Amino acid sequence: MKQAHCIFQEDDHRWLAIARDATKPGYIIDTNEYVIVDGEEALLCDPGGIEIFPAVFSALSAECDPTKLAGLFASHQDPDIISSLALWLEFKPDLKCYTSWLWQSFLPHFGGEDTTFVPIPDPGMTIKLGSLELQAVPAHYLHSSGNFNLYDPKAKILFSGDIGAALLPPDQGGLYVEDFSRHIRHAEAFHKRWMGSDRAKRDWCERVSRLEIDMLVPQHGSIYQGADVQRFINWFAALEVGVLRG
Amino acid sequence: MNAPERNLKLTNHRSGELAGIVRVNEEIKAIVATAFRINLMALNAIFLAKRAGNAALGFGVLSNELRRFAQDLTRHMASLRDMTSGSVGSVTGVVQQQRNSRILAEAIRLAGEVPGVREARKRGMARLSAQQVKLRALDLRLRAAVEETQQLVELGGVLARSAKIEAAYGGGFSPALMQVSTDFAEVIAQIKRSLEVLGKERLVKD
Ligand SMILES: [Fe+2]
Ligand SMILES: [Fe+2]
Repeated sequence: MKQAHCIFQEDDHRWLAIARDATKPGYIIDTNEYVIVDGEEALLCDPGGIEIFPAVFSALSAECDPTKLAGLFASHQDPDIISSLALWLEFKPDLKCYTSWLWQSFLPHFGGEDTTFVPIPDPGMTIKLGSLELQAVPAHYLHSSGNFNLYDPKAKILFSGDIGAALLPPDQGGLYVEDFSRHIRHAEAFHKRWMGSDRAKRDWCERVSRLEIDMLVPQHGSIYQGADVQRFINWFAALEVGVLRG
Repeated sequence: MNAPERNLKLTNHRSGELAGIVRVNEEIKAIVATAFRINLMALNAIFLAKRAGNAALGFGVLSNELRRFAQDLTRHMASLRDMTSGSVGSVTGVVQQQRNSRILAEAIRLAGEVPGVREARKRGMARLSAQQVKLRALDLRLRAAVEETQQLVELGGVLARSAKIEAAYGGGFSPALMQVSTDFAEVIAQIKRSLEVLGKERLVKD
């Protein structure tokens, strides 16, 4: 069963990582969900698919009051990101879902109505949560054509969605990257195939290099911290993307 | 509980209502096709009666009536079809709501009584029962419409039987007219059977 791990805490400002679901059927890709809490408000990043909703809901509820959930942040439109939308709305009908304007009329196929969605314009925007000012950082075409990361300048954490994702073997499924070069082997094929644009990749690398990042937290795989963050950005900058094989 | 079992539990529930609608639609399609056949048969019968002349005057009148019957039946079936296509939306709503409630219930079971779950459960139940009320009303309307159609088909049966009697007075054309009226009786019996099946279908399980 999934569990929420506190990866950052400063007073009532917290980041929870909901990760590693051993009971999940093997044919469903493993995902990480992140909860940002500040005081009385919480935001859930990439809530995940329908199948894992019970596990995510209970892991979240174990660590924070689920009625404090003010919004969902969907980095993009994929089913492993946001197909559970209707279920979260079933629990809390007035939840806001922040997502690229590009997906605003597509996501209602998963649930919600026009008042549910807060479209993020291409250059990004500020999302207020409690006293925090979170930044939706453009990451278009990596891999989705309307794609955002979420940066918390106070915690210095960048939620990077599918960027940084690794498909790890069960014996290397630690919450944090321990050995970068060993870990990155499991990220290579994924990034080559899923990330479609070299230009978009270079833009992103430049953009996030200007941010102060202590932790880069992806939707699949382990969390990069400290020097591994820049190591990842450099690795990604040099990687040839948009290739079918090799 | 192992993982695939959990998956089954969440998804493999009551597709019964949708399957019911599919059966109703198939039955309606069968009746529409038969009504079309009656229409053609009646047209042929009208020409046959014309050729038979005075000996088949009564048969000609009945053939005209049967043709009108086929047209009425087609109209009835069109309105039945409108009802069932509307019900696909309602049934889908119910199925979705049931699925969401079930997954939420599973989440609540795992999480325990955390704040907000009671309200969420109540809202879900209210939505579900509102949708079921709608579906039940639709079911009643559908049943009433099927009964009305059954009465119409009774009338068609009477016409077919009368045609058989008239055929006996058809002189040299009598065997041909008899064949046509027997065909009428057969297809009408077929429609009756379909309507019986339709009358037994329920869009909502009690
Ligand atoms: Fe994705
Ligand atoms: Fe993903």
